[in-house]
Formats: sequence, structure tokens, C-alpha cells
Amino acid sequence: MIRAPSQTDRRIALGLGLLTFVVLWATERPVGFVRDESVYFAAAEQFARWWALLFHRPATALSDSVITQAFDFNHEHPMLMKSLFGWSYTLFHSVLGWVRPAAGFRLPAFAVAALIPALAHLWGSALWGRRAGLFAALCFFVVPRHFFHAHLACFDMPVAAMWLLVVYLFWRAQEDVRLAPWSGLAFGLALATKHNAFFLPVVLAPFGVLAAWRAAGEEGRRVLVRMGQAAVAFIAYLALLLAVLGRVGLVRSWQLLSPQTFGVLALVVALTALAVQLRQRDTAAFVRLAPLVAMGLIGPVVFYVHWPYLWYHPVDRLAWYFDFHATHVHYAWTYLGEVLRAPPFPLPYVFVVTALTLPVSLLLPMGVGLLRAGARTLGDVVPALGRRFGRGGETEWLLGVNALFSILLISLPDVPHFGGVKHWLPSMPFLALLAGREFDRAAARLSSALPPRRAMSASVALGAVVLLPALTLTVHVHPYGTSAYGELAGGIPGAASLGLQRQYWSNNVTGVLPWMDANAPQGGRVWLHEVNGLSFRDYQRNDMLRKDVTPVGGPEDADLAAVQYHQEFREQEVLVWQAFGTQVPATGLYLDETPQVIVYRRPAR
Amino acid sequence: MNETAHRLRTAAPALALVLVAVLGLGFQLQLPRAFPSEADYRGVAEALAGTRARGDVVLLHPWWTERARLFLPGDLPLVGYLGDTADDLLEHPRIWVLANERLPRTPDADFRRNFLPDRTPLAEPRRFGPLTLTPYRNGRARTVVLAAVDALDRLQVSVDGSGTPPQPCRRSGERVLCPFDALVEVGWHEVLYQPVRCLFLVPPSGGRTLSIRLPDAPAADALLLEAGITWEHAWLAGRADVQLHLDSPAGALHLRIPGAHEGFVRGESPSSAPGPWTLRVTTSSPQDRQVCVRLRALGPPP
Repeated sequence: MIRAPSQTDRRIALGLGLLTFVVLWATERPVGFVRDESVYFAAAEQFARWWALLFHRPATALSDSVITQAFDFNHEHPMLMKSLFGWSYTLFHSVLGWVRPAAGFRLPAFAVAALIPALAHLWGSALWGRRAGLFAALCFFVVPRHFFHAHLACFDMPVAAMWLLVVYLFWRAQEDVRLAPWSGLAFGLALATKHNAFFLPVVLAPFGVLAAWRAAGEEGRRVLVRMGQAAVAFIAYLALLLAVLGRVGLVRSWQLLSPQTFGVLALVVALTALAVQLRQRDTAAFVRLAPLVAMGLIGPVVFYVHWPYLWYHPVDRLAWYFDFHATHVHYAWTYLGEVLRAPPFPLPYVFVVTALTLPVSLLLPMGVGLLRAGARTLGDVVPALGRRFGRGGETEWLLGVNALFSILLISLPDVPHFGGVKHWLPSMPFLALLAGREFDRAAARLSSALPPRRAMSASVALGAVVLLPALTLTVHVHPYGTSAYGELAGGIPGAASLGLQRQYWSNNVTGVLPWMDANAPQGGRVWLHEVNGLSFRDYQRNDMLRKDVTPVGGPEDADLAAVQYHQEFREQEVLVWQAFGTQVPATGLYLDETPQVIVYRRPAR
Repeated sequence: MNETAHRLRTAAPALALVLVAVLGLGFQLQLPRAFPSEADYRGVAEALAGTRARGDVVLLHPWWTERARLFLPGDLPLVGYLGDTADDLLEHPRIWVLANERLPRTPDADFRRNFLPDRTPLAEPRRFGPLTLTPYRNGRARTVVLAAVDALDRLQVSVDGSGTPPQPCRRSGERVLCPFDALVEVGWHEVLYQPVRCLFLVPPSGGRTLSIRLPDAPAADALLLEAGITWEHAWLAGRADVQLHLDSPAGALHLRIPGAHEGFVRGESPSSAPGPWTLRVTTSSPQDRQVCVRLRALGPPP
């Protein structure tokens, strides 16, 4: 198999990417601002101002205090996407005035999300043919929740795209060593997108090492063993520090000149020296290991350089960053009639929610694709399975592991579960790829049962029929994608009866803003429950809410109140009843009968 | 024949995909038939307006179909919350169940298990599009002789400390404000998703006791005391207990809300002669132990 795509498939991938970008842009306007998005808008604006300062007064901009001042806000996430959001906003909204502010921020998110169908096609077509690649690309984006998340100036869809990019380049670089530096760069960009990417080496290292081991001669294997010894020594050293200092002590005492920094530096130096040795002694083995080496060397450099906040205080701020995400708070999240507030969370949660949110016509090929990948990978070690399903080989393992990794990671009972599918989005493009193979197999068999002249049209018709339910659901639920549920759940009303999370925070309020615009008194006081002050400002500056209305902090001060239905927030609606003296809403957003946002108007006194 | 069978076998994966897609599409296309129109809801509202009686209540099935609130009379109590099928609705001798059984995954088993016992249909269901409206006699109903929420004006509230004389509280609008940050008011609050109009109590700090006295309570077949922690303060493990102690002519009734308990705790005293009731509430951590109390004197079934 040649891993490089053909010229035609490159063009198709480009077309798919462009199409995705255009569709996302064209459908962006009604999409509300989820709770964090307005924070990222504000952060992006602030960082854009720093970049402007850098051009005008570089010495000032590069000082420790100014960097801290500029980048302290929202320093729980790295800078790549926020920088892109800020630059795009400045150029396309502030300077050129071509787009509204929100679209200015979101354009880079569309561009990065557009990588997913392009890469899915490139990879799928290289593995199983154009039909599989096209289906993989399309089936990812017609899932309502994927389509929704692709609109946001956030990091979940971008890190899914980056994850796919890194793994794809890693796979390509195993054949073509010229791509190894690119996989290192992509890994750096992934690290600079969201912390999920720190797990990529965990996923990819076994593949790289195993491939190198298989390709290596005796000399090469000796070097590889030494590399393994260095890694084990580092882990033992880290374990020793943990035992002596404890987790908190390890984080707090991590400074530039500290045992922790020494350990990391020693590992990097040792592995680099051994990689150079491997290159000299066993080129074939080095080629297989080169993507990992590039990721190890280039990735951290890109991550450090892209984030000015780390420049003066790399160690302690990085330690804080890891600690923040390792000890993230748990927000309430409703699952099968129960409000999950604290660990341990139910083990099947991720699998159940995935099954209930995917349209069933896509769940089937994704599920079967995963099962087939499992059977084929096991076929490598169990001959009977290998004879029945074929043997998977390295690529099958790579796809299967990546399809499951994020799903299994979030399934761990102590990992935060709020946020639903967005937290395991990096798995979904791989499931889409496996679905592409299943579709291709089905279409190929169908074609073989038909006269040759009908084969092409049969494949197209089959694809259209399989994608249509998802597309219908996506069109129906847009722009309220966080409320979407598939047929297994019984749609949105079935999910309500099952006691599933009804929506995320803030974004569905767009469904009632036009009514509020029409009915709020001049200068009226409005309480938008779970819409933070930044989002309120963003709704106003994007002309989604009248500028004369004022946000208030609760129903007691409000003329109008919009309450978002969350199981854990029932008290908030009841407090509106108390403050307004009525239990009769004025209007609301009811999706397929389910209350999402309920609006109350204070009766005239 | 063999040829056709072979072709079908060959095309089986594609046919399976098509079948599932058609089923999915069919589900989506037929789903809107389960949604009532505004005219359907208005029909329900008119039907209720013509036949409703004092003490009636509307119960939604499934519990979340609260769009009905937009259309039904605002002065007719409407109940719809997760777990409402287990609500005795004891103040309501007649329950109108507004059901939409065409909705997917309607929790009928829960309705049969928790709602139907002691409830008797009084008439055939009336249909309004996908909605049905069925009156039920509520066999769990009791006459409410007196509810503490209706007697706020008559309550004598004070804070008692060990070894110190009671410190009286003062009224401020519709609240009773007490020393040591204690508070009593009547309001709507949520206890484990249930909206309840109750006596909202913030117990005093320092482990002192909030004392609420009703000097002239009537005779009753039973006194029903229910108490729960409001909203999100209920669930966290490690929170302090709340002790409630009710003295009445019927004797003493003691309740404890355990630290992480969600929902109401309930206690019922035997029949009580006329006389004073005194409810004492104590906790060591009042700020996250805000209590919603329902105290009612019950008479015979209506």
C-alpha cells in the first residue's frame, strides 16, 4: 500500500475542506456562545492587543510584567487557537469590517475543523479507496453534535483535528521520513491547542518503538534497548520524587533549578544522543522512530515558543498548568435521571452517551467498523480470528487504538464527565474512518451484485441514504446541537424522558433573544440564567440582543428572566416564580416539546 | 432462485445499512406527530376551565412536558418534575393527568408503579391531538386543616441558646429576621427537583436553635412535618445534620436531615388537640443547611 494520496484525492480533500469551511461560515450566525467561548473571545482580543504592542513597542511587550499582564487571563489553556481567533478578529472584523465580531473570532476554528474531512478523505482513500475516504469525511460532519462544535471558537474540535493530523503524519512519516519533522511540528501545534495532546506520545510511542524494533538489526536493537532503559530510569526517578515529595510537593517545588527539571533534561539529552546514534548505526530503524524523535524534539519547543506566558517562568507555570488539568473541578451533569456531581462516575457513561447521540445510521458502521478493527487486530495474535477477519497489522492497530483512546480515557471514573461528547471528540474521526471502510465494503458488495453500469450510482445512492438521517437531524436541530440526540435515545424528547443532559450552558438562549428584543422594555433589566457577563456583551455587540437592555444578576432585579433547563438548576426557575409571582412563562425555547430556555416576564405592578 | 439469493447475500451489508437508515429516517419523520399543537393545548385549557374545581391539580406525564404551562390557567396548580409520580399531592382530591404517550420513551412503567396506586380514573380520557386529559380521584388526599406557610403572620420566632434567654426575631416585610443570621420566610424553593412553597429557614449560627411557635394551632387527625435541604446544598457528603424537634399537644416528633440527604425527610404525629406547636431547628453549619419545611395539620380524606 502506498500511503501518499493521489493528486485527485488531494484535490478532493481540498474541496472537502473548503466546503466544510464555507458551510460552517454560512451556518454560524445563529449559533449561540457556549459558556467558555466568550471567555476565549475576550482572551483572544486581549492577546491581539499584545501582538499589536509587540509590533509597536517590542521592548515593552516582551517584558515579564507586560507578558504576565497580557497572558494571565485564561492561562489554563495554551495560545495557538486564541491567537488565531484574535488575529482573525482584528483583521476581518476590526480592520476590514467584513464580518461580525463572532465570525471574526470563529473563522480560524472553521479552518482547523475543515482539516478533519480533508484528512479523513486522504487517509481513508489511501487505505480503502476513494469511496471510503469520502464517506468517512462526510459522516463525521453530518453528526449534529460534531457540526455544532465545529462552529465554536473553542478548542475541542481543533484538538480533534490536530490529533488526527499528528497521527496521520506519524503514519505517513513511517513510510516517508521527510514527513517526520512535520509530524513533530503538528505535535507542537496540537500541544499548543489543548492539553489532550499530551497523551499523543502515550498512544504513538508503542507504535514507533515497535516498528523500529521490527526494522532494526542487532546494532539498532541495542540502541533501542538503551533508549528503553533511559525511559525506565526516568520513570523510576519520577516515582522516587513522587514518593519523597508527594504530588503537591512535586508541583510546588518544580523550578528551573530543581531535581524535576534535571530529570526531564537528562531524559531529553539521553534520548537525543541515542537517536543520533541510532541514525548512524541503523537507518531503517531510525526512519521508523523518526516521527517520535521529531515529536519529542520539536513539539515541546513549539509549545514553549508559542506561549509567551511560559517564557520567563517556564517551569512553575507549566507545573501549574498540568496541575490545573489534573485536578479539574467537576460540574454537574445529568445522566439517566441522576445528576453526576463528583467521582466516581459510571464506567459505561461515554459508550452510552456516544450511542445515544450518534444518528443510528452512522452508529452502525462506526460500531461495526470498530468491532472489525478489534477482530482484525486480535487476528494478529489469534490465528483463528486472523483467518476469519483477516490480520490487522500496524495501521489497523493505530486506527483502533486512536478510535478508543479518548473514549476510554474519559471513561475513567475520576475524569471530569461534564461537557459530554466534546471531551472525546478526538476519537470520533477515527471511528468515522472505520465507518468509511464498512461503507466501502457494503457498497462494493452491492455493486458486485448489480450490473457494472449501475455500480457507481448504487454507491452514491447508498451513501445518500445512509447519511440522510444524520443530515436531517443536523438540519432540524441546528443551531442547538448540544441538545441533539439520535434515534436510539428517542430523539430529544426521548432523551428528556431518559433523564439525559438537555443542553450545555448559555448557547441555546439564542432561541429566545428575538422575543426578548421585541418585548423587553426600553432599558429593561434582563436576567439570562447561565449566560455570563462576557456572553451577554457578545450577544449585544453581535446584534443578537438590543444594546439598551441591562444584565442583572438574578430574577429579583429583573424585568425579564430566561432560565436554562438544567436538572441541577431547578431552584433557579423556582426563584423566578417567587420573584415574579407567576409560574406561567411568557415564551420559551421548546425543542421537540422539551423545555430548553423558559422566559418569564414580571407582571405589571 | 440461487442467483437471487446469492445477490441478496452479497448485498446484505448494504441492505442492513439501508434498513437502519430508513428506520432512522422514519423515526424522525413520524416524531412530529407526537407534538401537540397550540390548538391542542388551548383545547385542554378550555376543557379544564369548564370542569375544574377547587383543589384540582394538573400532573404532567411525562414529567418534563412543561410547555403546557404556556397555555393552562395560571391559577391552576401544575406539577411536573423528575420524580413527581411519587408525589402524594395530598392537598388535591382530584388530579388531572395531562399525558402524551406518543412521545418516545414515555416512562409508563414508572407512572403505573408510582402514580396509579390509590388513584381511580373518574372519566374516560379526553383526546386533544396527541394529548390525553384524564381526571383521577386522589385516594391519598387529606384535608389540610392548617399549613404553616399560611400562618407566617402568627408565628412567634426566636433564637434559643443554651443558658441564655430566647432572643426574639423581628419582621421585615415578608421575612422574619433573627439574631445570629437566622431567617424565616415563606417562599418557593426546590428540594430534589420538587418545587415547593414552604417555610424557608436559615438556622442560627453557633449551634443555637431556631424556635418557631404557633400558639393557636387547631385540632388535627395528624401533624405532617416534612423538611429538606434546598437546591445544591443537599448532596455534598460531610455536611452537618439538621435536627428538627416538633412539640405539639400530640407529643414530640423528632426528625433528622442527615448530612448528604437529598429530598424530604418526613414524620407524622398522631391526632392532636388544639394548642401550640413549637418547632425547633438546630444545625452546626447553617449557611449550607438552608431548610425548606412543610408543616401541615391534616384532617380526614376529603
